[in-house]
Amino acid sequence: MFGLRRTRRAVLASATLAAGALALTVLPAQAFNAHTEVGVSATQIKLGITIPLTGIAAPGYNKIPSAMNAYFNYVNDNGGVYGRKISLVVKDDAYLPTQAVNKTNELILKDKVFAVVGALGTANNIAVARSVNLGRRGIPSLFVNTGYSGFANTKAYPSTFALFPSYIMEAKIMGQYLKENFAGKKLGLIYQDDDFGSDALAGFKQAGVKFDVSVPYASGSQSAQTAQGWVGKLKSAGAEVVVMFGVTTASGAALATSAALGYKAQWILGSVGGDATTLKAVGVPPYVLTGAIGASFLPAPTDTSDEYISFFQGINAKYNGGVTFDNNVLVGMNTAMMTVEALRAAGSNPTRAKLISALETKGSSFASASLSPIGYAKGVHVGYTGYWFGQYNSAGELKPVGGAYSVYTTDSGTGAIVKSTYKRPALPTNGLPSN
Amino acid sequence: MLRKNGGRNQLRANLIFIAIGIVLFLVSNRVDELRVYQGATVAVYVVAISSIILLTGYSGQISLGHGALMAVGGYAAVLSRNDWHAPVWLSFVVAVLAAALFGAILGVAAGRLSGPYLAGTTLALAVGLPSLANQFSVLGGEQGLNYDVGQPPLSLGQDFTQYHWYFWIAGLAALVMTWLVHNVLGSRYGRNWRAARSNPTAAALAGIHIGRSKILAFTISAGIAGLAGALLAMTLSLVTPSAFPLALSFAIVTGAVLAGVTLLTGSIVGAVVLVAIPELTDALATHLGGSERVTANLPGLMMSALLIVSVLFFPNGPRLFRR
Repeated sequence: MFGLRRTRRAVLASATLAAGALALTVLPAQAFNAHTEVGVSATQIKLGITIPLTGIAAPGYNKIPSAMNAYFNYVNDNGGVYGRKISLVVKDDAYLPTQAVNKTNELILKDKVFAVVGALGTANNIAVARSVNLGRRGIPSLFVNTGYSGFANTKAYPSTFALFPSYIMEAKIMGQYLKENFAGKKLGLIYQDDDFGSDALAGFKQAGVKFDVSVPYASGSQSAQTAQGWVGKLKSAGAEVVVMFGVTTASGAALATSAALGYKAQWILGSVGGDATTLKAVGVPPYVLTGAIGASFLPAPTDTSDEYISFFQGINAKYNGGVTFDNNVLVGMNTAMMTVEALRAAGSNPTRAKLISALETKGSSFASASLSPIGYAKGVHVGYTGYWFGQYNSAGELKPVGGAYSVYTTDSGTGAIVKSTYKRPALPTNGLPSN
Repeated sequence: MLRKNGGRNQLRANLIFIAIGIVLFLVSNRVDELRVYQGATVAVYVVAISSIILLTGYSGQISLGHGALMAVGGYAAVLSRNDWHAPVWLSFVVAVLAAALFGAILGVAAGRLSGPYLAGTTLALAVGLPSLANQFSVLGGEQGLNYDVGQPPLSLGQDFTQYHWYFWIAGLAALVMTWLVHNVLGSRYGRNWRAARSNPTAAALAGIHIGRSKILAFTISAGIAGLAGALLAMTLSLVTPSAFPLALSFAIVTGAVLAGVTLLTGSIVGAVVLVAIPELTDALATHLGGSERVTANLPGLMMSALLIVSVLFFPNGPRLFRR
């Protein structure tokens, strides 16, 4: 009868389950060697990254991992780090916190990486830190690709190292720039409605800048359609100067839509959404960008007179298929160079703990392309601290305002904004760190 | 249909559930962390799939929107834990109740719809509901809300990881829920649902209130989905709209179909397949050396292909479990 048959099925099912279970138990236990760290073998150091390769935030960011790999491959071809070759496991998180958590779990559990490097996104990194609990497990998360000020909080994120200047710093410095150059004009702001944007609001408040109109947008909602709403608000408020504090796809939508609607304003693009190549790729006509102001902490990717830029462009040609050398490629290679220096600083038998402590003690002297100093110290995980401003020319190149880079630095608190006198370390011989 | 030896069967079923529990417990201590984490995900899917089996397999109603009901459960659990400091078990109960309440309201509408119309309505819900969280700051937007079920008790030892803890909680919840569903399906209500599904007119003549029976099925199914949502939130430590995409709603329906939509025991098979597919495609893509774009889309392709194949060749589930 029905019941009996069902029982038979249930017995069959549980027998199968038990058999499967037994099969699982005889799987070899993970080879564990007390002398080596997870992700480090005699010949290899395995690192991981989560970053959007697909989805709404992917354009531009998806160039970062291959740029990192290009530099790592160059280092590997030149002996690696103390004889070990660096391998980078790349996972697509589609700019979704849930995916970032899943993929980071995979990196830690399945790929067993030594450290996470360059994980992208404010919300994603917060979710990962809470959920995967990298800090408590002592797994380093180096040079996160976000400027959220919170990541420098070593109590909440003990194993995370910020690299970019915080969005608070950026907004403070930008606020001063607004007051000096656009006093009396009607100001507008578009920002992402999460911790990325709240950092920006905090910075502008600190700088004493009041916007006549503020337009928040939910991450992932940016499109040509929603941008019509933003532009409508800016237009009706009569904003003459508009600050765009969002990801590139959002600033692309804002710029393209305002051009289509015939709305003209002086645009000021935050460092996150201001990459000219990506803006062009997402459909912004070049003339719209001309004259806009941009902020950056790295030299302009088109500035071939800079020794780091010209070196990285050479790597890009040889190891990265000669893709358009933009800010994303620059960020990727710069992060990779910092990573190699950090791994070297951790010594010939690196452990996760050694890596963290080496960055704290030696990180501030690392060679890097940035025009701003590095803040690492014991218990301090603040990376870069400064910005310079430039104006986009008709070729989409960001040219420093006043002809030369003038970098201003500050902190994420109430500290003053000062003109930097930082002297950047010279490019290591052949671009190979020897620290 | 009358069941012979009902008492003995019941005892045997109970013993089987206990045996499964013991086997799972023993296994979880032997395998590595990745398998344990995947095990927790399997448990989440088992709960979600059994809610579909109850609804579709027994009551004959189709839902493509169970991801939305899971979202209701997930958010209810998180809000109750964060705002009222509810203990974990209580936040699960809140999740079940909130989703069931939501399901009851939805069920009133669902009772009037059938087939593609019901599928369409629930589909719209799956598309729209999770993104509501972006509109209300109390729900945390895309960034989501933190859900902390706490560290495992120290008495379990230093080596007892968070993943084991998730697995224990999710596994226990799945076992208890499957046992409950098993009993409900074997009860008067289960028989009523089957009768109403097979021949509504005859069932109504026999005194079964078709509308009420459908609403009850929807309510219970929603409550179970709510638990699945809370468990999913636990394994992620957070709820965000992106945790409940359209693909999730489709995945659990696919899992139910793969399992043979009328068989509760099949839910384990369906759940294992859902977790195994991304794993397999990952290995396949690595083997083929495909680009990231391929890797990202391969699981969806495999899942859809499996769904089509199983509907074509095994409409009642794999032969192993066929009734």
